[in-house]
Parts: sequence; C-alpha cells; structure tokens
Amino acid sequence: METRDNLIEVKDLKKYYHGGAIKALDGVSTDIHPGDVCVVIGPSGSGKSTFLRSLNLLEEPTGGAIIFEGTDITKKKYKDENGEIVRLDIDKLRQKMGMVFQHFNLFPHMTILENMTLAPMKVKGMSKEAAEQKALELLDRVGLKDRANAYPIQLSGGQKQRVAIVRALAMEPNVMLFDEPTSALDPEMVGEVLDVMKKLAEEGMTMVVVTHEMGFAREVGNRVLFMADGMLIEEGTPEDIFDHPKSARLQDFLSKVL
Amino acid sequence: MDQFIKWSNFSKIAEYAQLFEQGLLVTVLLSLFTVVIGFCLALILALMRMSNIRPFRALGIDKDGHQREKGFLAVISKFNPLSFIATAYVEILRSTPVIVQIFIIYFGVFGVVKLPAYNMFGFIKFSRFFPGVVALGMNSGAYLCEIIRAGIQSIDGGQTEAARSLGLSQGQNLRYIILPQALKNILPAIANEFVVIIKESAITYTIGVQDIMSAVNAVKGATFVIIEPLLVATAIYFCLCFPTSKLIAYFERRMSHGDKR
Repeated sequence: METRDNLIEVKDLKKYYHGGAIKALDGVSTDIHPGDVCVVIGPSGSGKSTFLRSLNLLEEPTGGAIIFEGTDITKKKYKDENGEIVRLDIDKLRQKMGMVFQHFNLFPHMTILENMTLAPMKVKGMSKEAAEQKALELLDRVGLKDRANAYPIQLSGGQKQRVAIVRALAMEPNVMLFDEPTSALDPEMVGEVLDVMKKLAEEGMTMVVVTHEMGFAREVGNRVLFMADGMLIEEGTPEDIFDHPKSARLQDFLSKVL
Repeated sequence: MDQFIKWSNFSKIAEYAQLFEQGLLVTVLLSLFTVVIGFCLALILALMRMSNIRPFRALGIDKDGHQREKGFLAVISKFNPLSFIATAYVEILRSTPVIVQIFIIYFGVFGVVKLPAYNMFGFIKFSRFFPGVVALGMNSGAYLCEIIRAGIQSIDGGQTEAARSLGLSQGQNLRYIILPQALKNILPAIANEFVVIIKESAITYTIGVQDIMSAVNAVKGATFVIIEPLLVATAIYFCLCFPTSKLIAYFERRMSHGDKR
C-alpha cells in the first residue's frame, strides 16, 4: 500500500565495522512520512546515533538503501528524471536535512549571526542582507535576537543548542535530525531546548529525534522506534511503546528508564 | 693588550655600511620569498598527507563484499600515493642538514638548469639568490607542513560534521571553518618557524648569496676585523626577528576574540 508518500524510506540498512566484527546497524527498515515526529530510543550502543547519522550520510552505510525523496542516496550515481546517469550531489542532499548535534558544534570563531548566515550565503548564494534578516527572524523565534553578535562561548549550553537548531533551520530543510540534543545540557536547560523542538513539531516539521527524554518522546512524538543491538526491535505510537510494550527487551529497557 | 671590542674598529668598518644595507635587503627578500614558498608548499603537503585517495581500494574487498582484514591485498588497498609522497618528502627534508640540501639544489639542480645572469636591484645575483630561495623554501615547507597538519587535526571533528551537514562542500569547510581555526591555533608555532627562516637564511652565504653574513665576510676580508662586523650582524638579525615575533603575537591577540567570555 503506497498511498502515503514517504519522505525517507530506509531498507535493510547495515553498518559494519572491522569487516563485520562489529555490527552497529544490522538490517534496519522503516519509513518516515512528511510531518512525522519520529523518536528513536534505546540503550546506549544500540545504533540509534549511527542510524540517524546514516540518514544524511555522515556515516556511510555498509549495505541497504536509504531512499530520500525518491532517490537512493546510498548509491554514488543514479538515474535522473530524464533517464540520464548523474552523480549524487551529497552537498545538495545535506542542505535538505538539518542536523543538530549533542555537542552543538557551533563555529567558535564566528558570531552567532555569522554562524547562521554562512551556509545560506555560501551554499544557497543568498545576499548578506537577506541571510541576516532571515537569521534575525529565526533568532527572534527562539528569543536570542539580542545575542546575534555574541560569540558561541558567551552563551549557555541551552542557548547554544537553540542557536544550533535555528542555524540548521536557516537552510530551510525538509527534515530535521536531532542527535541527542539535550544530553550535554545541564538539567535546568533541557526544557528550553525541548520547547523549541516542540514548537517546531507543532509547525509540521518532519523530525527524527534520538533522545533519552522519554517525556518528550511520549508527548511530542507520533512514532517511537525502539532499537537494541543495531536492530529495530519495536516501533509504534507512544502509547504502544510505553504502555503496551511487547518485547522483553523493551519491557526491560522501560523498567530501567521510567 | 688585546681587547674584545675596539671602538676604533667600528669606524674602520663604517665605510662598508653599504654592504650591510644591501645584505639586509637580501636577507629580508630571501626570508619573504622563503616564507611564501614554504607556506604554499606546506599547505599542499599537509592536504596531501591528510587526503584519502586510495586507488587500490577495490582490492581490499573480498568476493563476499567484506573488507579484507589481513594480508598483502589489505595493505595495498590502504595505500595512498599522495600521502606517501608527502610523508617521504617531509621525512627526508627533516632528516638531512640544510646545508646539504642547499648544495644539492645549487650545484646539482641549478648546475643543470642554467639561470639567466640577471641582477635584481642592480646588485643581487639572481643565479645565486634563486637557488637559495628554492632550497630554503623546500626545507621550511617540510617543517611548516607538520605544523599545519597538527593544526588542522587539532580541530574537533564535530566542526566538519556540522559544516558538511549544512551543505558546505569539503573545500568550503576547509576554507571557512577549519583553516581559520587551525591557523589561530598554530600561530605561535608559525611565528617560531618564520623567525627560524630569517636566521637560517644566513646559511645561503655559502653559495654566494649577498646577505648579511656575506657582508660580514667581505668586511672581515678587507679589514681583518672580525668581532665588530659580527656584532653589527647580530644587531641587525635581532632587529629583524624580534619585531617579527611581536607582530605575530599581535595578530594572535586579534584572532582570539572567539575564546573570551
């Protein structure tokens, strides 16, 4: 049944290290639909981050396929709509996928505004004025407009992560990937970042979120994926996963974290 | 009674002041060209050393499609010719004396390749100056390469990941994200290398470049005064090197605005 469009289709995704001795991902298949807020949970070392990082090819998969907007991005070359064989433009692809990291990864030698305008100007060719105007609008949305000319080191962890989120949004991506966005934050700052993500979800942004925040998964997520040992063990709505876990692995995991 | 310094000797060598002036100009030009050549060469070498071009990569995959762990084919598949050439270059240049390199360049390479008998500014012999610049540039390129490589590798991998995930290409990432941060980190080491180049350029007098040291020798030969011209040379070298390191320290402070609260 292919009535609903898939934004990302993951088929039997595999990532092996040391020639198969370590299986970070061992055959993961799932679909991500437009507007989904897909939360990935699981014990550490279960392959959640590897799965997320594979989606924009920060990790090159060993096997399987990732079909993003109709193109298998794990292939270096593909046929375009005219039937001609073209090389996959990885930079073009990554523009459409915003990514937010655990450790923020803001550029320390640039001001907040420069952090946000660099990619729109250099990659999309926007004018400085237009890029700055857009950046200030986005900063205003997360309440950081007055810090536009500060350097990242002058910001708190929560502020840095909010900047990192709007920096990715400045490229107008079709999907946002979050790799444990609150794990490196002091507890009192977790809320402000989750609030921004919640607002983003309400606006209809497609999101894939790896997190340990079960409250967020339950409240904001519309689908939850539970991973362990590089495999997708269970997936379903938050109610399915948290209230009626089927597998023993998930029951065991939930008993530890809830 | 012999004295270490005789003031009268300074007035004796004063008439050769023009030699020192010319020597100063040659040393400055020599150092500037060396720095430029050395830096460009070093950047290319550093990128070669960090490149990931493996032409025999396919040989490392067995018929099941898995990576080979051991054996000759696994070693061959990891072979990166660019990195090998750059590493060999750096190790050879760092493990041999500069004077040997200068002689090989001057008598060997430029013994075969004839340079025009052209005089820069009317007195600098191009056929001696140029081999000197090439030899010093090649030598400092090897040292600067290691400094630049260390600088680039000191930048957290998350910076590249963030840049690439925003859609920046590999080249844009290097230019806007990695190099500005790396250069700031390695500025003290680069300053050190620049000062070393100024001082090391003195060795080119052995192939007849008319730098400050050659002025010392000329004065020594003409007047039999030894210590005083050396002291003049000492003063000139100090006046070149000390401001250079101060100038770079100034740039270092200017670039550090991202690390203060």
